[in-house]
Amino acid sequence: MTFTIPIDNGDAVKNAEADSQRTLYPYVTGTSIVAIKYKDGVLMASDMGGSYGSTLRYKNIERMKAIGKHSLLGASGEISDFQEILRYLDELVLNDNMWDDGNSLGPKEVHNYLTRVMYNRRNKFNPLWNTLVLGGVKNGETYLGMVSMIGVSFEDNHVATGFGNHLARPILRDEWHADLSFEDGVKLLEKCMRVLLYRDRSAINKLQIAKITEEGVTVSQPYSLKTFWEFKAFHNPTAGAEGSW
Amino acid sequence: MFRNQYDTDVTTWSPTGRLFQVEYAMEAVKQGSAAIGLRSRTHVVLACVNKAQSELSSHQKKIFKVDDHIGVAIAGLTADGRVLSRYMRSESINHSFTYESPLPVGRLVVHLADKAQVCTQRSWKRPYGVGLLVGGLDESGAHLYYNCPSGNYFEYQAFAIGSRSQAAKTYLERRFESFEESSREDLIKDAILAVRETLQGETLKSSLCTVSVLGVGEPFHFLDQETIQKVIDTFEKVAEEEEGEAEAAAAPAEQGGGDSGDLDVAPMEM
Repeated sequence: MTFTIPIDNGDAVKNAEADSQRTLYPYVTGTSIVAIKYKDGVLMASDMGGSYGSTLRYKNIERMKAIGKHSLLGASGEISDFQEILRYLDELVLNDNMWDDGNSLGPKEVHNYLTRVMYNRRNKFNPLWNTLVLGGVKNGETYLGMVSMIGVSFEDNHVATGFGNHLARPILRDEWHADLSFEDGVKLLEKCMRVLLYRDRSAINKLQIAKITEEGVTVSQPYSLKTFWEFKAFHNPTAGAEGSW
Repeated sequence: MFRNQYDTDVTTWSPTGRLFQVEYAMEAVKQGSAAIGLRSRTHVVLACVNKAQSELSSHQKKIFKVDDHIGVAIAGLTADGRVLSRYMRSESINHSFTYESPLPVGRLVVHLADKAQVCTQRSWKRPYGVGLLVGGLDESGAHLYYNCPSGNYFEYQAFAIGSRSQAAKTYLERRFESFEESSREDLIKDAILAVRETLQGETLKSSLCTVSVLGVGEPFHFLDQETIQKVIDTFEKVAEEEEGEAEAAAAPAEQGGGDSGDLDVAPMEM
């Protein structure tokens, strides 16, 4: 067996041994996150599933977490990378608190920090396999943004990751408006999550809704959506394609 | 302060618990030309006296922009001051790049102070021979700090450092209680008046001082000579009127004559 001197990950692309140390594919993944700005801040929804390929293996994963006093982070993609990001942010928030000087990291700062981290990892061909949603309120200003695993980063009034991009955002584009009340916001998110539940194979019917306002973060208890499977179109699913194969 | 057997090394304590090299570094600050800083709740003004080596040369730059929301005035070894300003700019811009947000000035001065402290505890280094008046903004408003070669830093409502700074400090001590609520214009006027105190008799001209302002909604910038001269005119004229009618006729002419660059107005003035 040839002995390769392990070189630093600068050569990650070429060196086979270094290969085993960089992320090539995700293993345990979370599906979509949907988030919107509303009157008092940001509302974010996610289900609690962790898929292992096509197996819906874990059903109690919290994919939304509070960061510091002013931010809420939601993640889809590799769960272990999300946990790693939480550790980075933990350290960041800890150091920020240790200053104890009246200044604190707001959602914009956290979002930009994450963008730097994600982009730098992407440049080393060792990405954190997540799409992150960062929402928050500071000094009356509401912030909502997204960062992908390749470092693409932007802000918007409503964001969604993964399947949510295709199924939820069209609904949001039609029905979102500024100054939604809390109830209307939740209804809108539930509408999106229901569509995702019907159509996304890796979604499970156990979701949480988190809200962040100037006062802080609250993550709801898990609950499930009512579903209706008696639509006529569902009755005879093979109607248009009968055959033995 | 006299030479003694404990002052060769920065890492040698004296029996009375002093580090003489550090204290000598603080002496260097006192030799530099004066720098003054004052702040209100929303603004910080930094002003300094422009001293040139000779009539032929330009004066040294003593006030530096660190970022839109932070400025620094130095007194002492200006070369050390320049290097530290570069460090501050670097810290500030790195923070902005990572967080897209201005670095709170209170955190910057701690980094600066920690950097200075290192030089008081390494036998192969020497303390920085420069005092820095750092003015800037953070979430709680405007702040003014003084960073010392010893690695200490203090927050001030107003302060002056360098030669003949005591005169400015006396003036500031009389007036500082009003600074918190001061308007921007009054703050600038007080800064220039404090500079005048350090000149001790020399006529105050805009070419002799550099003034910079920063505040909430106002990025750091220098005031141009015209603006400074206008402020000077508001109190110089008043002073001259008070001096008596006999000189009233001569005074305006004198003022005009003094202005039209008979002295060291160098091309590199700010």
